[in-house]
Amino acid sequence: MPLFLLLGAPLLAAVIALMRSRYARLTGQVSVWLSLVPIGAAGYLWREVNRGAPVSAAGDLVRADALSVVLISCVSIVAALAAWLGPGWWGREDLRDYQIRRFVIFSNLFTLTMLAAVVSNNVGLMWVAIEATTIVSAVLIPLRLGKSSVEASWKYLLIGSVGIALAFIGTVLAYFDFVQRAGATTQALNWTVLVTAAPHLHPDVMRLAFVFLLVGYGTKAGLAPMHTWLPDAHSEAPAPLSAMMSGVLLAVALYAIMRWKTVVDLALGTPFTNRLLIGLGLFSLVIAAFSLVTQRNYKRMLAYSSIEHTGLTCLGLAFGPLGVFAALLHLVNHSLVKSTMFLLSGRLHERYGTTNLAAVTGLLRTMPWTGALFAAGMLAVIGLPPFGLFISEFALLRAGFATGHRLLAVVMLALLVLVFVSLLTHLNRMLYGAGVEGLRRGEDHAGALVPLALCLAVIVALGLVIPAPFWRLLTMGAAVVTR
Amino acid sequence: MMAGGLFSQLSVLGSSLALVFGLFVLWRRSLGAYVSAFAWQSGVVAGVAAMVAHFSGDHALYLVAALVFGIKAIAIPRLLTVMGRRFGGDRESHPYVNTEASVLSAAVLVLVAYSVTRPVVALSQLPTRGAIPLAMGLTFVSLFVVISRKKALTQIIGFLMLENSIALLAVLCTYGIPLIVEIGVFLDALMGFLVMQVFVYRIHETFESLDVEQLRHLKH
Repeated sequence: MPLFLLLGAPLLAAVIALMRSRYARLTGQVSVWLSLVPIGAAGYLWREVNRGAPVSAAGDLVRADALSVVLISCVSIVAALAAWLGPGWWGREDLRDYQIRRFVIFSNLFTLTMLAAVVSNNVGLMWVAIEATTIVSAVLIPLRLGKSSVEASWKYLLIGSVGIALAFIGTVLAYFDFVQRAGATTQALNWTVLVTAAPHLHPDVMRLAFVFLLVGYGTKAGLAPMHTWLPDAHSEAPAPLSAMMSGVLLAVALYAIMRWKTVVDLALGTPFTNRLLIGLGLFSLVIAAFSLVTQRNYKRMLAYSSIEHTGLTCLGLAFGPLGVFAALLHLVNHSLVKSTMFLLSGRLHERYGTTNLAAVTGLLRTMPWTGALFAAGMLAVIGLPPFGLFISEFALLRAGFATGHRLLAVVMLALLVLVFVSLLTHLNRMLYGAGVEGLRRGEDHAGALVPLALCLAVIVALGLVIPAPFWRLLTMGAAVVTR
Repeated sequence: MMAGGLFSQLSVLGSSLALVFGLFVLWRRSLGAYVSAFAWQSGVVAGVAAMVAHFSGDHALYLVAALVFGIKAIAIPRLLTVMGRRFGGDRESHPYVNTEASVLSAAVLVLVAYSVTRPVVALSQLPTRGAIPLAMGLTFVSLFVVISRKKALTQIIGFLMLENSIALLAVLCTYGIPLIVEIGVFLDALMGFLVMQVFVYRIHETFESLDVEQLRHLKH
């Protein structure tokens, strides 16, 4: 039942918006209220899973264990934030009604596909859902038609679809291996069934399958060198969509990699997947760190920082059980902070009318609240205490040292310092200065900022203490990956 | 045994034909030729699926064959032809990689496909196993088409051929995947194509050409 509420609410919101072509604002408000339902369902599932039993329905086709619940919580919270700050609730003078309606329909479908991906026990259907995320989100990127937004969405659609097709080849190869061992059954693509059979799967075929899966889902996760679409898509999309894409879509793709890592590790042992994850993770970190130095666009800056954090999470997955725990913690922290940052960047864009870094000065004077939150969020992204990302990055590095990757951990640290310096320089330039001549000062709808401030408060809280139920959930989630 | 021999020969023949239709795109230049190559390829894939359904007795595969035939061999080529009539003048005259180099690369890619699928072929006991490397070869060639061609419509053809190759691979490796997944994959492919089609009109509207080389506004 909670699983159906989880998927039903965004579907209902999309259908309402689809049927009502008038009252775009009203359907936007309905969508905000409905976006609270998945959060409630996530809370219920969390409680059930913490009692020790995964929740499943529809003949084990949909199933939520601790790992799913981590992702469900992130997706539903970020989706609610995006709906709240989207054009539906506060209205936007520069958007026509049909654009608002399109936003409500497709952002809800986007939420639906992401939630479906993380509760689907069948890895084939998980693939179908992740492929669908590309289609529904690409439609929204050019909400305002322009050369760069059309370009960004074409790149995203093409690279995303082709990449994810490769992941399907990996799925087919794994299924082939399973069928060779155990014969064809309709349950064969269920993750739970695959995991039981995994120790008997053929290592050579699983190796080939994992390479395809990693390249495929890695493309969606924005791992370098398959990341080229990401800065374009995340910077050209409307802010609430960027928040969802950067905050949780990357995490959903990483989730798919984690699920497959579990299966492949049981067949091969961990060294093979760990080596590949370290390679891609480190490369992403390097590319992101050096791209951040020369960044001239603040939305692209945030996008590259997402590549950096995806790389870090990926490295964490390769650092044993402790590393997986740290990676999950980092994933949660990142999805909260990055979605907040993209939503704030939407407010900057609205006021300054540009995404050029150099054109944004005197932010603290122009928009005191937005500016203060933006500064706090940026410090969190950099990984300074007392924010949660400091703790998770620290735990990641510690796991790296503990598993004997000393040199790698030192390189990671050096790259993090580079990111620290360049982001701080960019932030400094934005916050202070005389401000732009003739730009209106003060906040529009300061009330809209309350949930974002709350979000940052949660990140600070996670930096000070990790509450026991959350700790338990993450431990169980990590145990799912490293079983 | 006789039936087994025929079965494996037919599957190799079908997959080779599918690969050859994929290679067409590398040396033809007009959209019309691409569309008919794709339509024929889809017909062949549907034929292979129907043949596997016949020999293996798995009747769900007849449905897959019918879907491939109806959607990919008839409906999508029609839509592509309509687009071709509108943008037909936009020929793929200067791809990133010229014809000679493209054909050579394709040959290398097929060899690579033979080498990476070795463990799969070694493990499989199905009569269709000989054709698996050909399907994988088509996958790589389609990827190459997407990367090396400049026109948005050619890239779509490459993407559709990639989808065909995966359908073929699934049929050859395991006699198809569970039906519910198969239908989901179909819906995705269809939706993906329709959205791409919308984007082709948008690219044409905003750039007044379908040359993706003009899509160069976004830099680091």
